Amino acid sequence: MITLPDNLKRPFADLLLAVADDKLMLGHRNSDWTGLAPILEEDIAFSSLAQDEMAHAQALYQLIAGLIGTSADALAFGRKSEAFRCAAIVEAPDEFDWATAICRQFFCDHFDRLRLRRLARSSDKPVADLANRLAAEEQIHVEHVDSWMQRLGRGTDESRQRMQKALDRLAAIAPSLFEPIEHEHELVAADVYPRAETDMFETWRNELEQIANDSSLKLDLHPPSPQTIGGRRGKHTEHLPPLLDEMCEVYRLEPNAAW
Amino acid sequence: MSGSANVGVHVDHARDEDPAKMAEFEAKINAGELLEPDDWMPQAYRQGMLKMAEHHANSEIIGALPEGEWITRAPSLRRKLALTAKVQDEVGHGQMLYRVSQDLGKSRDQMLRDLITGRTKYHNVFNYPAPTWGDIAMIQWLIDGAAIMNQKTLADGAYGPYVRTMKRINMEEAFHFKSGEDMVLTLMSGTKMQRQMGQEAFDRWWYPALMFFGPPDKPHAEQLPPMRWRMKTVTNDNLRRRFINRFAPAAIDLGLKIHVVKKDDNGMVIERKPDENLRLDETTGNWSFTQPDWDEFYRVIRGNGPCNAKRLALRRFSYEQGRWVRHAILRGNAGLPPAA
Repeated sequence: MITLPDNLKRPFADLLLAVADDKLMLGHRNSDWTGLAPILEEDIAFSSLAQDEMAHAQALYQLIAGLIGTSADALAFGRKSEAFRCAAIVEAPDEFDWATAICRQFFCDHFDRLRLRRLARSSDKPVADLANRLAAEEQIHVEHVDSWMQRLGRGTDESRQRMQKALDRLAAIAPSLFEPIEHEHELVAADVYPRAETDMFETWRNELEQIANDSSLKLDLHPPSPQTIGGRRGKHTEHLPPLLDEMCEVYRLEPNAAW
Repeated sequence: MSGSANVGVHVDHARDEDPAKMAEFEAKINAGELLEPDDWMPQAYRQGMLKMAEHHANSEIIGALPEGEWITRAPSLRRKLALTAKVQDEVGHGQMLYRVSQDLGKSRDQMLRDLITGRTKYHNVFNYPAPTWGDIAMIQWLIDGAAIMNQKTLADGAYGPYVRTMKRINMEEAFHFKSGEDMVLTLMSGTKMQRQMGQEAFDRWWYPALMFFGPPDKPHAEQLPPMRWRMKTVTNDNLRRRFINRFAPAAIDLGLKIHVVKKDDNGMVIERKPDENLRLDETTGNWSFTQPDWDEFYRVIRGNGPCNAKRLALRRFSYEQGRWVRHAILRGNAGLPPAA
Protein backbone atom coordinates (compact mmCIF):
# COMPACT_ATOMS: atom_id res chain seq x y z
CA MET A 1 0.00 0.00 0.00
CA ILE A 2 2.86 2.39 0.80
CA THR A 3 4.11 2.31 -2.79
CA LEU A 4 0.73 3.28 -4.24
CA PRO A 5 0.73 6.87 -5.60
CA ASP A 6 -1.90 9.09 -3.94
CA ASN A 7 -3.87 9.60 -7.15
CA LEU A 8 -4.41 5.84 -7.43
CA LYS A 9 -5.65 5.27 -3.89
CA ARG A 10 -9.26 6.18 -4.52
CA PRO A 11 -9.53 4.24 -7.80
CA PHE A 12 -7.85 1.26 -6.15
CA ALA A 13 -10.24 1.40 -3.20
CA ASP A 14 -13.12 1.58 -5.70
CA LEU A 15 -11.84 -1.44 -7.59
CA LEU A 16 -11.51 -3.49 -4.41
CA LEU A 17 -14.92 -2.27 -3.26
CA ALA A 18 -16.40 -3.51 -6.52
CA VAL A 19 -14.98 -6.98 -5.80
CA ALA A 20 -15.96 -6.95 -2.13
CA ASP A 21 -19.44 -5.46 -2.67
CA ASP A 22 -20.23 -8.04 -5.38
CA LYS A 23 -19.21 -10.78 -2.97
CA LEU A 24 -21.07 -9.40 0.02
CA MET A 25 -24.34 -9.04 -1.90
CA LEU A 26 -24.02 -12.43 -3.55
CA GLY A 27 -23.17 -14.08 -0.24
CA HIS A 28 -26.00 -12.24 1.47
CA ARG A 29 -28.52 -13.38 -1.15
CA ASN A 30 -27.20 -16.95 -1.00
CA SER A 31 -27.22 -17.06 2.80
CA ASP A 32 -30.98 -16.51 2.66
CA TRP A 33 -31.25 -20.07 1.30
CA THR A 34 -29.65 -21.57 4.42
CA GLY A 35 -32.29 -23.90 5.82
CA LEU A 36 -34.53 -23.65 2.74
CA ALA A 37 -32.63 -25.17 -0.22
CA PRO A 38 -34.23 -27.97 -2.26
CA ILE A 39 -32.04 -30.79 -0.88
CA LEU A 40 -30.44 -30.97 2.56
CA GLU A 41 -27.00 -31.86 1.18
CA GLU A 42 -27.11 -28.87 -1.18
CA ASP A 43 -28.41 -26.64 1.60
CA ILE A 44 -25.15 -27.32 3.41
CA ALA A 45 -23.03 -26.81 0.27
CA PHE A 46 -24.77 -23.60 -0.81
CA SER A 47 -24.40 -22.21 2.69
CA SER A 48 -20.66 -22.84 2.44
CA LEU A 49 -20.58 -20.90 -0.82
CA ALA A 50 -22.40 -18.05 0.92
CA GLN A 51 -19.91 -18.10 3.78
CA ASP A 52 -16.97 -18.10 1.34
CA GLU A 53 -18.33 -15.06 -0.50
CA MET A 54 -19.01 -13.12 2.69
CA ALA A 55 -15.63 -14.07 4.16
CA HIS A 56 -13.93 -12.95 0.93
CA ALA A 57 -15.76 -9.66 1.23
CA GLN A 58 -14.62 -9.33 4.83
CA ALA A 59 -10.96 -9.93 3.93
CA LEU A 60 -11.15 -7.35 1.13
CA TYR A 61 -12.92 -4.79 3.31
CA GLN A 62 -10.11 -5.15 5.83
CA LEU A 63 -7.58 -4.24 3.14
CA ILE A 64 -9.69 -1.33 1.93
CA ALA A 65 -10.24 -0.12 5.49
CA GLY A 66 -6.45 0.09 5.86
CA LEU A 67 -6.23 2.04 2.63
CA ILE A 68 -8.87 4.68 3.37
CA GLY A 69 -9.02 4.61 7.17
CA THR A 70 -12.22 2.95 8.35
CA SER A 71 -13.36 -0.51 9.50
CA ALA A 72 -14.62 -3.54 7.60
CA ASP A 73 -17.99 -3.43 9.38
CA ALA A 74 -18.42 0.28 8.68
CA LEU A 75 -17.81 -0.46 4.99
CA ALA A 76 -20.31 -3.31 4.96
CA PHE A 77 -23.04 -1.79 7.12
CA GLY A 78 -22.38 1.94 7.36
CA ARG A 79 -22.47 3.17 3.74
CA LYS A 80 -25.34 4.66 1.77
CA SER A 81 -26.37 2.80 -1.37
CA GLU A 82 -24.61 5.20 -3.75
CA ALA A 83 -21.28 4.44 -2.07
CA PHE A 84 -21.52 0.76 -3.04
CA ARG A 85 -19.80 -0.45 -6.19
CA CYS A 86 -21.61 -3.73 -6.83
CA ALA A 87 -23.09 -4.76 -10.18
CA ALA A 88 -26.80 -5.07 -10.96
CA ILE A 89 -26.76 -8.88 -11.14
CA VAL A 90 -25.80 -9.40 -7.47
CA GLU A 91 -28.56 -7.02 -6.40
CA ALA A 92 -31.25 -9.04 -8.19
CA PRO A 93 -33.45 -11.00 -5.78
CA ASP A 94 -34.13 -14.65 -6.61
CA GLU A 95 -37.59 -14.93 -5.01
CA PHE A 96 -36.53 -18.39 -3.78
CA ASP A 97 -36.35 -19.67 -7.31
CA TRP A 98 -33.49 -22.17 -7.38
CA ALA A 99 -32.91 -21.73 -11.14
CA THR A 100 -32.33 -18.00 -10.62
CA ALA A 101 -30.03 -18.60 -7.66
CA ILE A 102 -27.94 -21.10 -9.64
CA CYS A 103 -27.77 -19.00 -12.82
CA ARG A 104 -26.80 -15.88 -10.85
CA GLN A 105 -24.01 -17.87 -9.22
CA PHE A 106 -22.97 -19.21 -12.64
CA PHE A 107 -22.44 -15.74 -14.15
CA CYS A 108 -20.78 -14.35 -11.03
CA ASP A 109 -18.45 -17.23 -10.18
CA HIS A 110 -16.97 -17.44 -13.67
CA PHE A 111 -16.49 -13.68 -13.71
CA ASP A 112 -14.97 -13.64 -10.24
CA ARG A 113 -12.48 -16.34 -11.07
CA LEU A 114 -11.20 -14.27 -14.01
CA ARG A 115 -11.15 -11.04 -12.00
CA LEU A 116 -9.29 -12.63 -9.10
CA ARG A 117 -6.73 -14.18 -11.44
CA ARG A 118 -6.04 -10.70 -12.76
CA LEU A 119 -5.73 -9.26 -9.29
CA ALA A 120 -3.42 -12.13 -8.33
CA ARG A 121 -0.89 -10.55 -10.73
CA SER A 122 -1.27 -7.08 -9.16
CA SER A 123 1.82 -5.04 -8.37
CA ASP A 124 0.25 -4.56 -4.92
CA LYS A 125 1.49 -7.60 -3.04
CA PRO A 126 -1.08 -7.85 -0.22
CA VAL A 127 -3.90 -7.72 -2.76
CA ALA A 128 -2.13 -10.16 -5.09
CA ASP A 129 -1.62 -12.64 -2.24
CA LEU A 130 -5.22 -12.39 -1.10
CA ALA A 131 -6.59 -12.67 -4.66
CA ASN A 132 -4.48 -15.75 -5.22
CA ARG A 133 -5.96 -17.42 -2.16
CA LEU A 134 -9.53 -16.43 -3.01
CA ALA A 135 -9.17 -17.57 -6.62
CA ALA A 136 -8.49 -21.11 -5.38
CA GLU A 137 -11.81 -21.12 -3.50
CA GLU A 138 -13.60 -19.55 -6.46
CA GLN A 139 -12.42 -22.49 -8.55
CA ILE A 140 -14.43 -24.82 -6.31
CA HIS A 141 -17.49 -22.60 -6.68
CA VAL A 142 -17.17 -22.70 -10.46
CA GLU A 143 -17.00 -26.50 -10.50
CA HIS A 144 -19.96 -26.77 -8.16
CA VAL A 145 -22.20 -24.39 -10.09
CA ASP A 146 -21.22 -25.86 -13.47
CA SER A 147 -22.35 -29.29 -12.29
CA TRP A 148 -25.71 -27.80 -11.27
CA MET A 149 -26.10 -26.18 -14.71
CA GLN A 150 -25.58 -29.58 -16.28
CA ARG A 151 -27.80 -31.51 -13.90
CA LEU A 152 -30.72 -29.13 -14.24
CA GLY A 153 -30.19 -28.26 -17.92
CA ARG A 154 -30.15 -31.95 -18.78
CA GLY A 155 -32.57 -33.04 -16.05
CA THR A 156 -36.24 -32.93 -17.02
CA ASP A 157 -38.17 -30.80 -19.52
CA GLU A 158 -39.40 -28.70 -16.63
CA SER A 159 -35.95 -28.14 -15.15
CA ARG A 160 -34.49 -27.22 -18.55
CA GLN A 161 -37.29 -24.72 -19.19
CA ARG A 162 -36.89 -23.14 -15.78
CA MET A 163 -33.14 -22.88 -16.21
CA GLN A 164 -33.47 -21.38 -19.69
CA LYS A 165 -35.88 -18.76 -18.41
CA ALA A 166 -33.60 -17.76 -15.53
CA LEU A 167 -30.56 -17.76 -17.80
CA ASP A 168 -32.27 -15.47 -20.34
CA ARG A 169 -33.46 -13.08 -17.67
CA LEU A 170 -30.06 -12.78 -16.00
CA ALA A 171 -28.07 -12.73 -19.27
CA ALA A 172 -29.55 -9.29 -19.86
CA ILE A 173 -27.97 -7.87 -16.70
CA ALA A 174 -24.93 -10.13 -16.19
CA PRO A 175 -22.60 -8.04 -18.43
CA SER A 176 -23.04 -5.25 -15.87
CA LEU A 177 -20.23 -7.06 -14.05
CA PHE A 178 -17.85 -5.67 -16.70
CA GLU A 179 -18.62 -1.98 -16.22
CA PRO A 180 -15.29 -0.34 -15.40
CA ILE A 181 -14.83 1.68 -12.25
CA GLU A 182 -13.82 5.34 -12.55
CA HIS A 183 -10.16 5.76 -13.61
CA GLU A 184 -9.77 2.01 -14.11
CA HIS A 185 -7.42 2.60 -17.07
CA GLU A 186 -4.96 4.31 -14.70
CA LEU A 187 -4.87 1.24 -12.46
CA VAL A 188 -4.30 -0.91 -15.53
CA ALA A 189 -1.51 1.34 -16.78
CA ALA A 190 0.21 1.18 -13.37
CA ASP A 191 -0.12 -2.63 -13.34
CA VAL A 192 -2.08 -2.46 -10.08
CA TYR A 193 -4.90 -4.09 -12.02
CA PRO A 194 -2.91 -5.81 -14.77
CA ARG A 195 -4.37 -6.15 -18.23
CA ALA A 196 -6.09 -9.49 -18.79
CA GLU A 197 -4.03 -11.90 -20.90
CA THR A 198 -6.95 -12.35 -23.27
CA ASP A 199 -10.03 -10.17 -23.60
CA MET A 200 -11.85 -10.80 -20.35
CA PHE A 201 -15.37 -10.48 -21.70
CA GLU A 202 -14.64 -12.88 -24.59
CA THR A 203 -13.05 -15.41 -22.23
CA TRP A 204 -16.04 -15.21 -19.91
CA ARG A 205 -18.54 -15.52 -22.75
CA ASN A 206 -16.72 -18.55 -24.20
CA GLU A 207 -16.55 -20.32 -20.84
CA LEU A 208 -20.22 -19.75 -20.13
CA GLU A 209 -21.39 -20.65 -23.62
CA GLN A 210 -19.51 -23.92 -23.52
CA ILE A 211 -21.07 -24.95 -20.19
CA ALA A 212 -24.49 -23.81 -21.38
CA ASN A 213 -24.12 -25.90 -24.57
CA ASP A 214 -23.07 -28.93 -22.50
CA SER A 215 -26.18 -28.34 -20.41
CA SER A 216 -28.64 -28.23 -23.34
CA LEU A 217 -29.16 -24.50 -22.69
CA LYS A 218 -28.86 -21.50 -25.01
CA LEU A 219 -26.93 -18.44 -23.99
CA ASP A 220 -26.56 -15.16 -25.83
CA LEU A 221 -24.35 -12.52 -24.21
CA HIS A 222 -23.56 -9.01 -25.42
CA PRO A 223 -20.83 -6.70 -24.14
CA PRO A 224 -22.12 -3.85 -22.00
CA SER A 225 -22.47 -0.53 -23.75
CA PRO A 226 -19.57 1.75 -22.76
CA GLN A 227 -22.08 4.58 -22.27
CA THR A 228 -24.07 2.81 -19.57
CA ILE A 229 -23.42 4.07 -16.07
CA GLY A 230 -24.38 1.60 -13.36
CA GLY A 231 -23.38 0.00 -10.09
CA ARG A 232 -19.63 0.49 -10.48
CA ARG A 233 -20.27 4.27 -10.36
CA GLY A 234 -22.85 4.05 -7.59
CA LYS A 235 -25.98 4.01 -9.76
CA HIS A 236 -27.90 1.00 -8.50
CA THR A 237 -31.06 -0.94 -9.27
CA GLU A 238 -34.19 -0.50 -7.15
CA HIS A 239 -33.29 -3.75 -5.39
CA LEU A 240 -30.27 -2.43 -3.47
CA PRO A 241 -31.90 0.00 -1.00
CA PRO A 242 -34.34 -2.59 0.46
CA LEU A 243 -31.52 -5.13 0.63
CA LEU A 244 -29.43 -2.64 2.62
CA ASP A 245 -32.37 -1.74 4.86
CA GLU A 246 -32.71 -5.39 5.82
CA MET A 247 -28.98 -6.06 6.13
CA CYS A 248 -28.37 -2.99 8.29
CA GLU A 249 -31.56 -3.17 10.38
CA VAL A 250 -29.85 -4.16 13.63
CA TYR A 251 -26.55 -2.37 12.98
CA ARG A 252 -28.37 0.95 12.53
CA LEU A 253 -30.07 0.66 15.93
CA GLU A 254 -26.71 1.51 17.55
CA PRO A 255 -24.06 2.04 14.85
CA ASN A 256 -21.32 2.73 17.37
CA ALA A 257 -22.08 -0.19 19.67
CA ALA A 258 -20.36 -3.56 19.68
CA TRP A 259 -22.73 -6.30 18.61
CA MET B 1 -29.88 -27.75 18.51
CA SER B 2 -33.05 -29.59 19.47
CA GLY B 3 -33.13 -32.83 21.39
CA SER B 4 -35.95 -35.24 21.82
CA ALA B 5 -36.82 -35.01 25.47
CA ASN B 6 -40.46 -34.15 24.94
CA VAL B 7 -41.17 -36.55 22.11
CA GLY B 8 -43.13 -38.74 24.52
CA VAL B 9 -42.25 -42.15 23.12
CA HIS B 10 -44.96 -44.64 23.97
CA VAL B 11 -43.59 -48.12 23.71
CA ASP B 12 -45.77 -51.20 23.93
CA HIS B 13 -42.76 -53.21 24.90
CA ALA B 14 -43.41 -56.90 25.27
CA ARG B 15 -46.09 -57.55 22.71
CA ASP B 16 -45.72 -60.65 20.50
CA GLU B 17 -41.97 -60.93 20.82
CA ASP B 18 -39.94 -64.13 21.21
CA PRO B 19 -39.14 -64.29 24.95
CA ALA B 20 -35.67 -65.77 24.39
CA LYS B 21 -34.67 -63.06 21.89
CA MET B 22 -36.21 -60.45 24.16
CA ALA B 23 -34.13 -61.66 27.09
CA GLU B 24 -30.97 -61.57 24.98
CA PHE B 25 -31.82 -58.03 23.81
CA GLU B 26 -32.40 -56.75 27.35
CA ALA B 27 -29.21 -58.46 28.55
CA LYS B 28 -27.26 -56.57 25.88
CA ILE B 29 -28.82 -53.28 26.97
CA ASN B 30 -28.09 -53.99 30.62
CA ALA B 31 -24.48 -54.86 29.80
CA GLY B 32 -24.10 -51.39 28.25
CA GLU B 33 -23.55 -52.71 24.73
CA LEU B 34 -24.52 -50.72 21.66
CA LEU B 35 -27.22 -51.98 19.30
CA GLU B 36 -26.67 -51.77 15.55
CA PRO B 37 -29.37 -51.52 12.85
CA ASP B 38 -28.95 -55.16 11.77
CA ASP B 39 -29.19 -56.55 15.31
CA TRP B 40 -32.42 -58.15 16.46
CA MET B 41 -34.58 -55.72 18.40
CA PRO B 42 -38.23 -55.75 19.38
CA GLN B 43 -40.47 -54.06 16.86
CA ALA B 44 -41.50 -51.56 19.54
CA TYR B 45 -37.87 -50.56 20.07
CA ARG B 46 -37.27 -50.05 16.34
CA GLN B 47 -40.45 -47.99 16.06
CA GLY B 48 -39.61 -46.00 19.16
CA MET B 49 -36.08 -45.22 17.97
CA LEU B 50 -37.40 -44.23 14.54
CA LYS B 51 -39.93 -41.92 16.11
CA MET B 52 -37.28 -40.37 18.33
CA ALA B 53 -34.64 -39.91 15.60
CA GLU B 54 -37.22 -38.61 13.13
CA HIS B 55 -38.60 -36.14 15.67
CA HIS B 56 -35.06 -35.00 16.38
CA ALA B 57 -34.28 -34.62 12.65
CA ASN B 58 -37.51 -32.65 12.10
CA SER B 59 -36.57 -30.41 15.01
CA GLU B 60 -33.19 -29.64 13.50
CA ILE B 61 -34.58 -28.45 10.18
CA ILE B 62 -37.49 -26.58 11.74
CA GLY B 63 -35.04 -25.15 14.28
CA ALA B 64 -33.04 -23.70 11.40
CA LEU B 65 -35.94 -21.39 10.55
CA PRO B 66 -36.21 -18.87 13.43
CA GLU B 67 -32.46 -18.22 13.41
CA GLY B 68 -32.23 -18.44 9.62
CA GLU B 69 -34.52 -15.42 9.39
CA TRP B 70 -31.85 -13.34 11.14
CA ILE B 71 -28.85 -14.23 8.95
CA THR B 72 -29.71 -11.40 6.55
CA ARG B 73 -29.96 -8.96 9.49
CA ALA B 74 -26.95 -9.94 11.60
CA PRO B 75 -25.23 -6.72 12.71
CA SER B 76 -21.58 -7.41 11.87
CA LEU B 77 -19.64 -9.46 9.33
CA ARG B 78 -18.38 -11.75 12.09
CA ARG B 79 -21.90 -12.44 13.42
CA LYS B 80 -23.28 -12.84 9.92
CA LEU B 81 -20.69 -15.51 9.12
CA ALA B 82 -21.08 -17.23 12.48
CA LEU B 83 -24.86 -17.35 12.26
CA THR B 84 -24.81 -18.71 8.71
CA ALA B 85 -22.39 -21.41 9.83
CA LYS B 86 -24.51 -22.16 12.89
CA VAL B 87 -27.75 -22.59 10.97
CA GLN B 88 -25.82 -24.64 8.41
CA ASP B 89 -24.75 -26.92 11.27
CA GLU B 90 -28.38 -27.43 12.29
CA VAL B 91 -29.29 -28.42 8.75
CA GLY B 92 -26.31 -30.79 8.82
CA HIS B 93 -27.59 -32.31 12.07
CA GLY B 94 -30.95 -32.78 10.38
CA GLN B 95 -29.26 -34.52 7.47
CA MET B 96 -27.36 -36.90 9.77
CA LEU B 97 -30.45 -37.70 11.82
CA TYR B 98 -32.57 -38.32 8.72
CA ARG B 99 -29.88 -40.80 7.65
CA VAL B 100 -30.17 -42.56 11.03
CA SER B 101 -33.95 -42.62 10.57
CA GLN B 102 -33.69 -43.86 6.97
CA ASP B 103 -31.69 -46.87 8.24
CA LEU B 104 -34.58 -47.62 10.58
CA GLY B 105 -36.85 -48.05 7.59
CA LYS B 106 -38.52 -44.80 6.51
CA SER B 107 -37.66 -42.82 3.37
CA ARG B 108 -36.52 -39.22 3.67
CA ASP B 109 -39.20 -37.97 1.34
CA GLN B 110 -41.89 -39.66 3.43
CA MET B 111 -40.47 -38.05 6.59
CA LEU B 112 -40.46 -34.59 4.98
CA ARG B 113 -44.01 -35.09 3.74
CA ASP B 114 -45.20 -36.27 7.15
CA LEU B 115 -43.57 -33.21 8.71
CA ILE B 116 -45.23 -30.66 6.45
CA THR B 117 -48.63 -32.33 6.68
CA GLY B 118 -48.49 -32.35 10.48
CA ARG B 119 -48.44 -36.17 10.80
CA THR B 120 -45.19 -36.01 12.73
CA LYS B 121 -43.99 -33.44 15.23
CA TYR B 122 -40.90 -31.38 15.94
CA HIS B 123 -39.66 -29.79 19.13
CA ASN B 124 -42.15 -27.47 20.73
CA VAL B 125 -39.56 -24.81 21.51
CA PHE B 126 -39.47 -23.66 17.86
CA ASN B 127 -43.07 -22.53 18.01
CA TYR B 128 -42.05 -19.38 19.87
CA PRO B 129 -41.20 -16.10 18.13
CA ALA B 130 -37.76 -14.51 17.71
CA PRO B 131 -38.66 -10.85 17.11
CA THR B 132 -35.26 -9.25 17.85
CA TRP B 133 -31.54 -9.88 17.58
CA GLY B 134 -31.61 -10.44 21.34
CA ASP B 135 -33.74 -13.55 20.76
CA ILE B 136 -31.03 -15.00 18.53
CA ALA B 137 -28.52 -14.51 21.34
CA MET B 138 -30.87 -16.13 23.87
CA ILE B 139 -31.71 -19.07 21.60
CA GLN B 140 -28.02 -19.82 21.13
CA TRP B 141 -27.30 -19.50 24.81
CA LEU B 142 -30.34 -20.97 26.57
CA ILE B 143 -31.82 -23.34 24.01
CA ASP B 144 -28.54 -24.65 22.65
CA GLY B 145 -27.36 -24.90 26.25
CA ALA B 146 -30.43 -26.96 27.12
CA ALA B 147 -29.93 -29.09 24.00
CA ILE B 148 -26.36 -29.89 24.96
CA MET B 149 -27.47 -30.95 28.46
CA ASN B 150 -30.10 -33.23 26.98
CA GLN B 151 -28.04 -34.60 24.13
CA LYS B 152 -25.08 -35.43 26.35
CA THR B 153 -27.37 -37.86 28.16
CA LEU B 154 -28.73 -39.19 24.86
CA ALA B 155 -25.15 -39.98 23.87
CA ASP B 156 -25.17 -42.50 26.73
CA GLY B 157 -28.01 -44.38 25.06
CA ALA B 158 -27.97 -47.86 23.53
CA TYR B 159 -28.69 -47.39 19.82
CA GLY B 160 -25.26 -47.14 18.12
CA PRO B 161 -26.02 -44.91 15.11
CA TYR B 162 -27.97 -42.42 17.24
CA VAL B 163 -25.31 -42.40 19.97
CA ARG B 164 -22.51 -41.72 17.47
CA THR B 165 -24.56 -38.96 15.84
CA MET B 166 -25.21 -37.35 19.25
CA LYS B 167 -21.47 -37.30 20.02
CA ARG B 168 -20.70 -35.53 16.78
CA ILE B 169 -23.60 -33.10 17.16
CA ASN B 170 -22.58 -32.26 20.72
CA MET B 171 -19.12 -31.17 19.59
CA GLU B 172 -20.69 -28.70 17.18
CA GLU B 173 -23.28 -27.57 19.72
CA ALA B 174 -20.48 -26.63 22.08
CA PHE B 175 -19.39 -24.01 19.50
CA HIS B 176 -22.93 -22.71 19.19
CA PHE B 177 -23.19 -22.37 22.92
CA LYS B 178 -19.91 -20.44 23.11
CA SER B 179 -21.11 -18.15 20.36
CA GLY B 180 -24.43 -17.63 22.16
CA GLU B 181 -22.67 -16.89 25.42
CA ASP B 182 -20.51 -14.31 23.64
CA MET B 183 -23.58 -12.69 22.04
CA VAL B 184 -25.41 -12.47 25.37
CA LEU B 185 -22.33 -11.10 27.12
CA THR B 186 -21.87 -8.47 24.37
CA LEU B 187 -25.50 -7.36 24.68
CA MET B 188 -25.50 -7.30 28.47
CA SER B 189 -22.30 -5.24 28.61
CA GLY B 190 -23.53 -2.91 25.86
CA THR B 191 -25.69 0.20 25.75
CA LYS B 192 -28.90 0.64 27.73
CA MET B 193 -30.92 -0.25 24.64
CA GLN B 194 -28.89 -3.42 24.09
CA ARG B 195 -29.27 -4.52 27.73
CA GLN B 196 -33.01 -3.97 27.51
CA MET B 197 -33.12 -5.98 24.29
CA GLY B 198 -31.27 -8.77 26.10
CA GLN B 199 -33.60 -8.74 29.12
CA GLU B 200 -36.75 -8.75 27.01
CA ALA B 201 -35.49 -11.64 24.93
CA PHE B 202 -34.52 -13.51 28.10
CA ASP B 203 -38.06 -13.01 29.42
CA ARG B 204 -39.40 -14.60 26.23
CA TRP B 205 -37.03 -17.59 26.29
CA TRP B 206 -36.58 -18.54 29.95
CA TYR B 207 -39.79 -20.54 30.21
CA PRO B 208 -39.55 -22.18 26.78
CA ALA B 209 -36.06 -23.27 27.91
CA LEU B 210 -37.48 -24.83 31.10
CA MET B 211 -40.17 -26.55 29.06
CA PHE B 212 -37.52 -27.78 26.63
CA PHE B 213 -36.97 -30.92 28.71
CA GLY B 214 -40.58 -32.03 28.40
CA PRO B 215 -43.44 -32.33 30.88
CA PRO B 216 -43.00 -33.40 34.52
CA ASP B 217 -41.98 -37.04 34.94
CA LYS B 218 -44.52 -39.83 34.96
CA PRO B 219 -44.40 -42.02 38.08
CA HIS B 220 -41.64 -44.66 37.88
CA ALA B 221 -40.20 -43.08 34.72
CA GLU B 222 -37.01 -45.08 35.20
CA GLN B 223 -38.81 -48.38 34.81
CA LEU B 224 -40.71 -47.49 31.63
CA PRO B 225 -39.27 -48.78 28.34
CA PRO B 226 -37.71 -45.52 27.04
CA MET B 227 -35.37 -45.48 30.02
CA ARG B 228 -35.19 -49.22 30.65
CA TRP B 229 -33.99 -49.66 27.08
CA ARG B 230 -31.67 -46.64 27.33
CA MET B 231 -33.41 -44.66 24.60
CA LYS B 232 -33.31 -41.94 27.26
CA THR B 233 -30.97 -42.03 30.24
CA VAL B 234 -32.09 -39.16 32.50
CA THR B 235 -35.64 -38.07 33.38
CA ASN B 236 -37.12 -34.74 32.27
CA ASP B 237 -37.26 -33.31 35.80
CA ASN B 238 -33.66 -34.22 36.52
CA LEU B 239 -32.51 -32.55 33.33
CA ARG B 240 -34.57 -29.47 34.16
CA ARG B 241 -32.97 -29.27 37.61
CA ARG B 242 -29.47 -29.49 36.13
CA PHE B 243 -30.38 -26.70 33.71
CA ILE B 244 -31.69 -24.35 36.39
CA ASN B 245 -28.71 -24.99 38.63
CA ARG B 246 -26.38 -24.03 35.81
CA PHE B 247 -28.28 -21.18 34.14
CA ALA B 248 -30.08 -19.34 36.96
CA PRO B 249 -26.82 -18.20 38.61
CA ALA B 250 -25.22 -17.52 35.20
CA ALA B 251 -28.15 -15.28 34.19
CA ILE B 252 -27.97 -13.38 37.48
CA ASP B 253 -24.21 -12.89 37.01
CA LEU B 254 -24.87 -11.35 33.60
CA GLY B 255 -27.27 -8.84 35.12
CA LEU B 256 -30.41 -10.58 33.87
CA LYS B 257 -33.51 -10.73 36.04
CA ILE B 258 -35.54 -13.95 36.16
CA HIS B 259 -39.23 -13.15 35.73
CA VAL B 260 -42.45 -15.10 35.82
CA VAL B 261 -44.25 -13.91 32.70
CA LYS B 262 -47.62 -13.83 31.08
CA LYS B 263 -47.70 -13.87 27.29
CA ASP B 264 -50.24 -12.99 24.62
CA ASP B 265 -51.22 -15.32 21.76
CA ASN B 266 -48.24 -14.12 19.73
CA GLY B 267 -45.82 -15.21 22.43
CA MET B 268 -45.03 -11.63 23.47
CA VAL B 269 -44.71 -10.83 27.17
CA ILE B 270 -47.57 -8.71 28.51
CA GLU B 271 -46.87 -9.03 32.23
CA ARG B 272 -43.78 -9.87 34.22
CA LYS B 273 -42.81 -10.02 37.88
CA PRO B 274 -39.73 -11.35 39.67
CA ASP B 275 -39.85 -15.12 40.34
CA GLU B 276 -40.33 -15.09 44.11
CA ASN B 277 -39.72 -18.82 44.37
CA LEU B 278 -36.27 -18.50 42.88
CA ARG B 279 -33.66 -19.30 45.50
CA LEU B 280 -30.68 -21.52 46.10
CA ASP B 281 -31.02 -24.23 48.73
CA GLU B 282 -27.52 -24.18 50.23
CA THR B 283 -27.82 -27.69 51.63
CA THR B 284 -28.84 -29.47 48.40
CA GLY B 285 -27.23 -27.04 45.95
CA ASN B 286 -30.50 -26.99 44.03
CA TRP B 287 -32.39 -23.89 42.91
CA SER B 288 -36.13 -23.76 43.46
CA PHE B 289 -38.24 -21.96 40.86
CA THR B 290 -41.79 -21.35 39.66
CA GLN B 291 -42.89 -24.17 37.38
CA PRO B 292 -43.74 -23.40 33.74
CA ASP B 293 -47.37 -23.10 32.70
CA TRP B 294 -47.93 -26.71 31.61
CA ASP B 295 -51.33 -25.88 30.11
CA GLU B 296 -49.49 -23.60 27.72
CA PHE B 297 -47.05 -26.40 26.93
CA TYR B 298 -49.85 -28.77 25.89
CA ARG B 299 -51.64 -26.02 24.00
CA VAL B 300 -48.53 -25.31 21.93
CA ILE B 301 -47.75 -29.00 21.39
CA ARG B 302 -51.27 -29.51 20.02
CA GLY B 303 -50.47 -26.96 17.32
CA ASN B 304 -51.83 -23.77 18.89
CA GLY B 305 -48.59 -21.98 19.71
CA PRO B 306 -47.58 -18.53 18.45
CA CYS B 307 -45.56 -19.79 15.46
CA ASN B 308 -46.71 -23.37 14.66
CA ALA B 309 -48.49 -22.35 11.47
CA LYS B 310 -45.72 -20.03 10.33
CA ARG B 311 -42.93 -22.60 10.78
CA LEU B 312 -44.81 -25.36 8.99
CA ALA B 313 -45.85 -23.04 6.18
CA LEU B 314 -42.23 -22.07 5.51
CA ARG B 315 -41.12 -25.71 5.61
CA ARG B 316 -43.90 -26.59 3.18
CA PHE B 317 -42.95 -23.67 0.92
CA SER B 318 -39.36 -24.92 0.79
CA TYR B 319 -40.51 -28.48 0.02
CA GLU B 320 -42.81 -27.35 -2.76
CA GLN B 321 -40.36 -24.85 -4.27
CA GLY B 322 -37.68 -27.54 -4.42
CA ARG B 323 -39.78 -30.33 -5.85
CA TRP B 324 -38.81 -29.75 -9.49
CA VAL B 325 -35.14 -29.74 -8.49
CA ARG B 326 -35.38 -33.09 -6.68
CA HIS B 327 -37.35 -34.48 -9.57
CA ALA B 328 -34.65 -33.43 -12.04
CA ILE B 329 -31.86 -34.86 -9.89
CA LEU B 330 -33.52 -38.19 -9.25
CA ARG B 331 -35.04 -38.82 -12.68
CA GLY B 332 -32.88 -36.74 -15.03
CA ASN B 333 -30.28 -38.09 -17.43
CA ALA B 334 -27.52 -35.71 -16.37
CA GLY B 335 -25.05 -38.25 -15.08
CA LEU B 336 -21.86 -37.04 -13.49
CA PRO B 337 -20.33 -33.81 -14.76
CA PRO B 338 -17.17 -34.23 -16.84
CA ALA B 339 -13.88 -33.88 -15.01
CA ALA B 340 -12.64 -30.31 -14.80
